[in-house]
Amino acid sequence: MDLEKELSQALRRKEPSPDFAARVAARVAAQAAPVVMPVTKPRVFAVPRWLPVAAAVLVVIGGVGEAAWRRHQGMVAKEQVMLAMRITAGKLNHIQTHVREAR
Amino acid sequence: MIELESVEQTGFEFADLVREHQSMVFSLSYHFLHDRDQAEEVAQEVFLALHRHMADIKSAEHAVFWLRKVVVQRSIDETRRRKRRPQVALEQVAEPAAHAVQHDPMLGDILRRLIATLPETPRAVMIMRYQEDLEPMEIAELLDMPIGTVKSHLQRSLALLREKLQRRGVGDR
Repeated sequence: MDLEKELSQALRRKEPSPDFAARVAARVAAQAAPVVMPVTKPRVFAVPRWLPVAAAVLVVIGGVGEAAWRRHQGMVAKEQVMLAMRITAGKLNHIQTHVREAR
Repeated sequence: MIELESVEQTGFEFADLVREHQSMVFSLSYHFLHDRDQAEEVAQEVFLALHRHMADIKSAEHAVFWLRKVVVQRSIDETRRRKRRPQVALEQVAEPAAHAVQHDPMLGDILRRLIATLPETPRAVMIMRYQEDLEPMEIAELLDMPIGTVKSHLQRSLALLREKLQRRGVGDR
C-alpha cells in the first residue's frame, strides 16, 4: 500500500455546504452595517473634587486682599488730607501773623 | 454577489477569493477538526477576518498564504477553546477489516480519523503536505518552524500511521 498516495486521496479537498459563500456574504454585510450606538447621557465634564475648595479659597483670599487694599487706600487718602490741612493751617497762621503786624 | 471591497483597493474582489478558496479553507479546517459544522464555522470566521484585512493582501498568492496560515491558527484555537480532545484516540480507531483493499472508502475514513488524532502541530503539517501538496519548505514558512522540524513531523507521523495500519493488517496488502 502506498500510504502517501492513500493520504493524498483521503485528504483531498472537500466542498463546504452550497450556501457557504452566501452565508459568508451575509455575515460580512452584517459586520459592515452601521453600528447603532446606545443612547447614553451626555458625558458631564468631570470636575475634580478639589476645584470647588480651591475656588472658595481663592475667593476668600481675594476678598481679604481687596479689603486690605481698600483699607490701605483709605489710610493714604487720610494722610494726604491731613497733610493738606497742615499746609493750609500753616499758610493761614502765616497770613494771620502778617495781618496782626500790619495793624 | 459580495461587493464590499473595491477592485481598486485590493486588486481583486473578496467574493472571488471566497469562491476560489472556500474549498481549501473549509477542507483544511475539516481535516483538522474532523467536524463538518465546526469546520464551516471556522472557515466563515477566516473569511470574515480576510475581509477585515483585505487592505493588507498584496496579491493572489499572498491571499492563499494568508488563508492557509490563518485557518490553521483558527483551527488550533478552536481545538483548544473547546478543549476538544481528538474525538477518537489513536488506539480506539476501529479496526479495519482484514481484507481492506486499496482506495477502500473505509481506509480513507480511517486515515482521516487517524490524522485527526495527531497532536496539533504534526496534524497541521500532515494536512498541509497531503491536502495542499505543499513541500516541506513551504510548510516550514507557513507554520513558522524550521524545515528540519517539518520533516521530522512528517516522518514520525507517517511511521506512526503505517505502524497502526500494519498492525491491523491494512498495510500488508
